[in-house]
Amino acid sequence: MITRGLSYGLLSARRRARDLILPVITTATGAFLLVQVLSLAGSVRRQAASLGNGAEVYRAVLLISVVVLLVGVVEVAVCATRTISQRTREIGVLGAAGVRRAPVVAALLVEPVLAALAGAVTGSVIAVVGGVAASAAGLSSSAPDAAGAAAGVILAIAVSLIASLLTSALPTWRAASVPPIRSLSSGG
Amino acid sequence: MDRATISADHAAPPGRADPLGDQAGPGRQSATVPRPPGGTGGRLLRFALANITRRRERFVLSTAGIGLAVMAVIVVRTISVGFASSGSASLADVLHGNPLWVVPADGVRYDPGAGTLIAKGVPPALRVPAGWHAQRAVSGVWDSPGGKLGLLGTTVPGGHAVLGSAAARALRTQPGRTVTIGGHRLTVSVSGTGKLVSVPVAAAEPVIGTHGWWTVAPPAADRGRTDLGQLLARASGLPWASDPARHPAPGGPGLIYDTTGTSAGLTFAQRFSALFSGRVTSSALGLVSTVGLILGFVIAVSSFLASVQERRREFGIMSSIGLADEVLYFFLVESGIVFLVAYLAGALAAGAALALVVPGLASLGSWLQASGIVAAYLPAMAIIGALVPVHRLLQQRPVALLAETS
Repeated sequence: MITRGLSYGLLSARRRARDLILPVITTATGAFLLVQVLSLAGSVRRQAASLGNGAEVYRAVLLISVVVLLVGVVEVAVCATRTISQRTREIGVLGAAGVRRAPVVAALLVEPVLAALAGAVTGSVIAVVGGVAASAAGLSSSAPDAAGAAAGVILAIAVSLIASLLTSALPTWRAASVPPIRSLSSGG
Repeated sequence: MDRATISADHAAPPGRADPLGDQAGPGRQSATVPRPPGGTGGRLLRFALANITRRRERFVLSTAGIGLAVMAVIVVRTISVGFASSGSASLADVLHGNPLWVVPADGVRYDPGAGTLIAKGVPPALRVPAGWHAQRAVSGVWDSPGGKLGLLGTTVPGGHAVLGSAAARALRTQPGRTVTIGGHRLTVSVSGTGKLVSVPVAAAEPVIGTHGWWTVAPPAADRGRTDLGQLLARASGLPWASDPARHPAPGGPGLIYDTTGTSAGLTFAQRFSALFSGRVTSSALGLVSTVGLILGFVIAVSSFLASVQERRREFGIMSSIGLADEVLYFFLVESGIVFLVAYLAGALAAGAALALVVPGLASLGSWLQASGIVAAYLPAMAIIGALVPVHRLLQQRPVALLAETS
C-alpha cells in the first residue's frame, strides 16, 4: 500500500509541479551557499584568518551556511501545509474509500521530499559547475576543492531531506488522521 | 467561518467604517450578542491569535524560518560588533588621549593574532608648532615566550611595562613582577584586557625595530579647537585627514589623522570601528547571512500569501460588510506576532549558538548590541510582509472573493 501511496504522490507532484518552484528555489539557494563555502574552504579560511580568530570565524561561516539551508527547507514545509490545506477534501475521499493513514502520509510526503531533493541537487550542481567555470575563466582566485565540494553536496542533500521530512511529517500525519467526514465537509 | 469572524460580523453596524471601535452605533446588536471585552487593539490581538491557533503548524513553520534567519544575522552582527570593539580598543591603545595621529606613508594594519595596530613603516619626519607635544611610538609583533603579542614602545615611565590581561596570562606574570624585554628589566602592571604590551621606546626598539607613528597633542589652551589637523598640516607640510578610511599615499610623506571632528554624527573612533565591522559584514559571513534573511522574508510572505488564499471567502464576507480596511489590520497584527516570536526565538538561538560554537568571538554585550541592531529593521519587514499579500487581496471586489472556492 505504501508503494501505491508513493505512486499516487508522484502523480500529484507532477500535477502540482508549479507550486514546488518556490521551495525548490529557496532550498537550492541554501544548498548553493553551503556547497560554495565547503568547496572554497581554503579561500574562506584565508578570509577568516585575515579577520582574526580564523578557526572560529570559519566555524561561524559553516554554522550560518547550514542555518541558511534550513531556512530554505522551511519553505518546503510551508508549501506542504499549503498543499494539505488545498487537498483536504481529496484526503477525505481517500479516507472514505478505505485507504489507510500510512499510504496517505506517504503520498503527501512525496512533494516535500521531491522539492527538497530537487532544490539540494540543483543548488549543488550550480555551485560546483559555477565554481569550476569561475575558476577556469580566472574569475576566482582559488580552484574549488573536490573533497570539500563532495562533502558539501552530501551535507546539503542530507540536511535538506532530513529537515523536509521532519518539518512536513507532523502536518501530513495530522491531516491524514482527520476523520473523512470532517475532511469532506470542511476542506477545499 | 470561525468564532472570531462571527463576533466581528456582529460588531459591525451597517455603514460604519470601524466596527471594532469602542463606541456604540445605531443598529448595533449588542442586546443579543455579548460584546467582547477589551479595546480595538485587544480585539485585533485576539482575532490574530485565533487565526494563529487555527493554523498552528504554519505559524510554527513561518516563525521557525524567520527565527533561523534572525539567528544567522544576529550571529554575524555579534561577531561584527566584537570586531568593532577590537578596532575601537586598538585605536584607544594607540592614541592615549592624544587628538592627532601621524602615520607613515606605508600606513598601518591591524594584526589579528596580536590584537593590535602595527605600523608598516618608520614615522615621517615631523615638525610641530611651538608649544605642541609630539610623542614617537614604535609598534610591532613580539614573538614572546607566551606567543605572539603586540608590543608598543610609547610614553610608559622608565622601568615599567603595562600589559593587557590577555598578555599577562600569556606571559604567566602578575602585577609587581618583572619581565625582560629588549634587555630591559621592567616591572609589570596590568591594564585593559588585550594582548598588548606597552613599554618605553628604548625597550621596544631592540625587539621590533623602528616602525611606528607619532601622536601629537596641542597646548592645553588649544585642546578644544576643531582645526588641529590643519594647524599641524600647515606646520609640518604633511597632508591631513579626518576620515579613517583614507590611507596615506604610497611613497608620500605620511598622513595626519585628526581624531577630534565628527562626520555625519560619527566620531573618528566610531568610523574607525565601522571599518572593522564592515570587514565582517562584507565577508562570506555577511553575504551568507544576508541571503538567509532574504529567504526568511520570502518564507514570511509566502506563508501570508497562503493564508490569504485560504481565507478569501472569509475576507470576501468582511469586505462586503465594510471591513475591507480592517483586513489589513488583522494581517498587520498577525505579522507582528509572527515576527516578534521569531525575533525572540532567533535571538535566544543566536546566543546559544555563539556560546557553543564561537565563544571566543562573542560577549554578552556584543550579543545584546547585535540583537538591538536586528530589532531595528524587523518592524519594517513585518509591515511589508503583511502588506504584500493583503494588497493583492484588496484589489479584488468582495463579490469576486465570495464567488471563488477557497
